[in-house]
Amino acid sequence: MRVHIVKREDCPLLKKILLIVGAVALALVLGGLVLLAMGVNPLEYYFKMFTMGMVGNKIAYKAVENYLKILVPLILTALGLSLAFKMRFWNIGGEGQFIVGAIAATAVAFQVGPVLPTPVVLLLMCVAAMAAAGLLGLFVAALKVKFGTNETLLTLMLNYIALYFLTFLGETKADWNFFLNPDSARPTFASFASLVSFPRIMLGKFGLNICVIITVLLGVLVYVYLKRTKQGYEIAVVGDSMGTARYAGMKVSTIVLRTVFLSACLIGLAAAFKVGTAGILSTSFTDDVGWTGIIVAWLAKLSTVGIFLVSALIGVLQYGSTAAAATFASVDSSFADMLQGVILFLVLAADFFTRFRVVIAKKEVERHG
Amino acid sequence: MAEPYAVELRGITKTFGPVVANHNVNLNLRKGEILSLLGENGSGKTTLMNMLSGIYTPDSGTILVDGQPVTIASPKDAKRLGIGMVHQHFKLVDVFSAADNIWMGAQEAGVVLKKDRYQKIEEMAKKFGFDLDPRKQVCNMAVSEKQTLEIIKVLYYGAKVIILDEPTAVLTVQEIEKLFGVLRRMKEQGHSIIIITHKLNEVMEISDRVAILRKGEYITTVDTKDTNEQELTEWMVGHKIDLNIERPKMEKLKPLLEIRDLTIRSDEGNVAIDNVSFYIRGGEMLGVAGIAGCGQKELCEAIAGLRPIESGKMIHKGENIVGLSPKEILAKGISMSFIPEDRLGMGLAPSMSITDNMILKNYNDTKGPFVDRKAGREDAQRVIEELGVVTPSTETPVRRLSGGNVQKVLLGREIKAGPNVIVTAYPVRGLDIHSSYAIYNILNEQKKSGVGILFVGEDLDVMMALCDKILVLCHGKVMGVVHAHKTTKEELGLMMTGSLDLTHKYEDKPAGYAADTLFQEEGEEK
Repeated sequence: MRVHIVKREDCPLLKKILLIVGAVALALVLGGLVLLAMGVNPLEYYFKMFTMGMVGNKIAYKAVENYLKILVPLILTALGLSLAFKMRFWNIGGEGQFIVGAIAATAVAFQVGPVLPTPVVLLLMCVAAMAAAGLLGLFVAALKVKFGTNETLLTLMLNYIALYFLTFLGETKADWNFFLNPDSARPTFASFASLVSFPRIMLGKFGLNICVIITVLLGVLVYVYLKRTKQGYEIAVVGDSMGTARYAGMKVSTIVLRTVFLSACLIGLAAAFKVGTAGILSTSFTDDVGWTGIIVAWLAKLSTVGIFLVSALIGVLQYGSTAAAATFASVDSSFADMLQGVILFLVLAADFFTRFRVVIAKKEVERHG
Repeated sequence: MAEPYAVELRGITKTFGPVVANHNVNLNLRKGEILSLLGENGSGKTTLMNMLSGIYTPDSGTILVDGQPVTIASPKDAKRLGIGMVHQHFKLVDVFSAADNIWMGAQEAGVVLKKDRYQKIEEMAKKFGFDLDPRKQVCNMAVSEKQTLEIIKVLYYGAKVIILDEPTAVLTVQEIEKLFGVLRRMKEQGHSIIIITHKLNEVMEISDRVAILRKGEYITTVDTKDTNEQELTEWMVGHKIDLNIERPKMEKLKPLLEIRDLTIRSDEGNVAIDNVSFYIRGGEMLGVAGIAGCGQKELCEAIAGLRPIESGKMIHKGENIVGLSPKEILAKGISMSFIPEDRLGMGLAPSMSITDNMILKNYNDTKGPFVDRKAGREDAQRVIEELGVVTPSTETPVRRLSGGNVQKVLLGREIKAGPNVIVTAYPVRGLDIHSSYAIYNILNEQKKSGVGILFVGEDLDVMMALCDKILVLCHGKVMGVVHAHKTTKEELGLMMTGSLDLTHKYEDKPAGYAADTLFQEEGEEK
């Protein structure tokens, strides 16, 4: 018996969906085995996780609010990354750009928060975050365009520089360091939640954060940008064949610089939203969105709609596991990370089957005549 | 019973997904004969041969070697059965010596490299009458040497049946003659040879019999001596076709593009184009002949503004275009299309749709931030209809089209823009007769409307029939410009290898300068 791998011309949508659902289901079964080994009923656990603890909860709307808080930065980061990835610029620096953006936004909140009206402060926070993150991205893009450096390595290394800069800010007690709480003897980040925070539109008890609305609007904008505009077209051509883009008279360097800047700007905005909602920095405030965003962008195959869907699923995993941890004390919320990894692995495997088909050919019996 | 065939295929079918590459193909190869396998692109020749060499396995059907049914499940099986294939794209390790390339696949290679391998391989090469330095590294070899090495390799592995996939595509006339000599000698020694080629004159010259495939189906096998090129073409294409390439006669127009003393460096910093001068008139087609890698690519790129030049002038309608951006050169009406070996590298975005490829050069001409895909779709529709592009829709990614259709899309877009100079390199690279003629017609139509065409080509027969003049390059130097209808293939071949230099044939004027130039030197009165 021989196994052939045959390329598919195209795969029907239904089959694709079934394969992906199947992969997620299989991941859940594997996760269920781990849960069983820990003596936890997987069905009960998954029920808690997927309902995010909302069933039988009097303040279920709070769960939705918190869920959206996780979702907004993730979606925006993935959208930003998808711009760069579409151009085959491997921006692995979402994490660093996010941190730099958050620091800039926080600085603005502390410096001008007490003097200017809230809407202006919020706007300035967003602009500062986008500029800071954007410039960090631009720096790498400029090096790539000028000297042909490897953007993957540079963005990756800058992540650590940004992270340790944040740690430095968080641990250095000094007069100039306005990020820290002056009343605490130990160095801890100060909260600016009382100064400024993103407003919410109250729908009954449920507060719809304005960031959610902006995120949806930006999603539509990115979709139109990539699909309909000249700049989006240029990104696609540069990503597909740089030689062809040059040949067509496109200014490839400009396109690369512009796109990476925009990519990082969106990530910076995500950071402003995150920190502006939380009202405080911390060394682990990113929730790894820079990394998870990469996974989201790839699972969504860089499709804008897909990014919203995949983010929603990953958000359920992340938030749901925290909610479930409240009931199942023995299961750490790291379980969600593991499950996320297994899902990613299996969905990528399923993706292989949407592009290829495995054919089992029986070896013909040799005849001698 | 008669002597069994060296190889016999019975009812071979092979499908790739929904595509039927071979359907019920029957083929036989006698011992000690040369069989040509003829067919258009996509007729399944290479697939069929890959099944013989164990790269693919047939879905159904039987393969017999020496009258015995066999299963060829891997290249190893093929080797064991004495079947060897020389692929179109050589499968050699560049940094290895000739001997090591053979040695690494040899049965007796063992674990330790022994010194005597050089000697063994040299002896064996001598036995077959080849001239080969076993210590020479592949990366220092010329194309013809690499091919010789590939042939020696399959012979060393004991092949009795040798398959050559388009072996002549990369060779000069003289090298082809040499290759045919080798093939004839191998035949005398009892080897059986299958040769795939598009060139009918070669089929007529070298083969004993010709087998014809059309759209994956076996048509017939005929004795070469009982047939002719016209008949073969009809079998191959399925209907009558005029084999004469037209060369419309045009009156002499002013020079459109003049290249003077142009020197260009390659990516590696070597001089790729060395002090080259020539000119193209409106309504003229100038062929550029030369062995692959003689500066053709660099020349095309320089004209399109994609490669900086070292020195010299490029004059378009009397105006120096050196230093202009690709966009500005495009706007002057100079179109460049280069079909690289992989056919997709330059000029097209392979993953994008035909529509998106149509708008590549003019997407920015409309006002506002949005791309006008409607106009692009109409253009795509027009090109599809006028040039007969076979595609499911205008939104199909170009990568999914077959080679001929890809090239039609590229050329269609270039012509749509209404250029006055067309630089086209290898526009029929790898295309079958049908598509090739379609492309020649497109180019001739342009020439008739007064466009100047620089045709960088490979096939000398075609260039002699299609072009008005032919410029021959050898290692970046011009070896002369000859009238296409006066020259011979032998003369061109000699010039291509640098043995014949005709640049100083006319001593009275500088070679390659147009007498009625539109260009005025600065400060020069005219």
